[in-house]
Amino acid sequence: MKPACAEARRARPLLGTFVEIAAAGEVRGAVDAAIDAAFAVIARVHVLMSAHDPSSDVGRLNRHAGGRAVTVHPWTEVVLRTALELHRASNGIFDVAVTPVRRRGGEAFELVSPCRARVRRPDARIDLGGIAKGFAVDRALDVLGRHGMTRALVNAGGDLAVFGPDPEHVEIRHPCHPPATLCRVAVRNEALASSGGGDAVIVDPRRAAAAAIRGATVRAPSCVLADALTKIVMVAGEEAGPMLSRHGASALFLSSRGRIHATRDWSAGLRRAT
Amino acid sequence: MRDWVRWAAPSAIVVSIAGPVHATEYLTTEQARALAFPTASRFVEAHVIFQPAQVAAIERRAGQKVRARGQQVWRALAADELIGFFVVDYVIGKHLVIDYAVALEPDGHIRRVEIMQYRESYGGEIASPRWLEQFVGKTSQDRLEVDRDIRNISGATLSSHHVTEGIKRVLAFYETCLR
Repeated sequence: MKPACAEARRARPLLGTFVEIAAAGEVRGAVDAAIDAAFAVIARVHVLMSAHDPSSDVGRLNRHAGGRAVTVHPWTEVVLRTALELHRASNGIFDVAVTPVRRRGGEAFELVSPCRARVRRPDARIDLGGIAKGFAVDRALDVLGRHGMTRALVNAGGDLAVFGPDPEHVEIRHPCHPPATLCRVAVRNEALASSGGGDAVIVDPRRAAAAAIRGATVRAPSCVLADALTKIVMVAGEEAGPMLSRHGASALFLSSRGRIHATRDWSAGLRRAT
Repeated sequence: MRDWVRWAAPSAIVVSIAGPVHATEYLTTEQARALAFPTASRFVEAHVIFQPAQVAAIERRAGQKVRARGQQVWRALAADELIGFFVVDYVIGKHLVIDYAVALEPDGHIRRVEIMQYRESYGGEIASPRWLEQFVGKTSQDRLEVDRDIRNISGATLSSHHVTEGIKRVLAFYETCLR
């Protein structure tokens, strides 16, 4: 492998947050082209899965709720399928249905055939916000790899994924006091996502009560999994352990009593803030 | 099955009085211009100082207050033909100051939006006009303690809402002054 001699770090406002992409390759022109292509992929995911845009896949699914099935992009199908699997595996904790319909339980939508889906009830709506950001990060990182980058990082407002020979160090913010950090972790060829803090409120769909956990961070093999699993940890806390194991993921969360809980396999690699 | 270890979280309240500043420089104006208009042969500075009527028109079109006295803008030319406008703007949020660029087609369509640099702060510095001076006109002096070691952050995300509002204002500026 030739040594990387050009690197760049850029940012754009996308997915309702700041998406930062860093990459290294052989020449600056190729690095810039790869980053442009990665931003374009994220914009594509945004256009497909925005819940606010009535012409997006999600917008059309919601518009035809209770009615006919809608043809969706293969990427949307992948995200819907992942959401369905996680909904079942978490006993309904992970749910893309929008409150208050989610309280009724069950799955809000179904995949009727490849790339065709429908929202089951006329009063149900879905929002892929809890999973599409992670998916977009994975797609962008994939593009950077296919453009021959030797290492790369994509960070969409705290949902991030990296590849390359060296670990990247990531500060995890204190969810209640954003200027402070809880700890620092090294991530290498994997993804990290955080939930909680700020205005974010994670609701336990089974009880319709706000989660008692203040913030959760998950590292996982892919960002789509890390993104979705943070929502499960926010609600289930330590009970999310078996699900994390099954997906090769680890987590830490801050309880409402101000204690940090971390999976044992991860705690060794943490550098705690003092 | 995962087992868990527990420890007390660091007491962060003390830190939040004068929090560290996270700052990142992505692109210089020249780099952002060249990326937005790779075929441009030159950029002609066309900075605008607002007339009161222009401020009123921009505020009406954008539905927001105009705080700046003017706008940095360049015409991108390829063999003397206008191929677009490059507008540099900044927005100030509750916790951050962002310099960003909007590249426009000659007809006013957005070609790209790129963040050039941002700094965030959780202290009281943003209220001070002297502190703001360092972001205006790129005469940045690192008077604040900037932790350059913090490159990647996860959690408590910053909203891009202010940039979205800023872009609306840039488009109103185009309608008022460039069209």
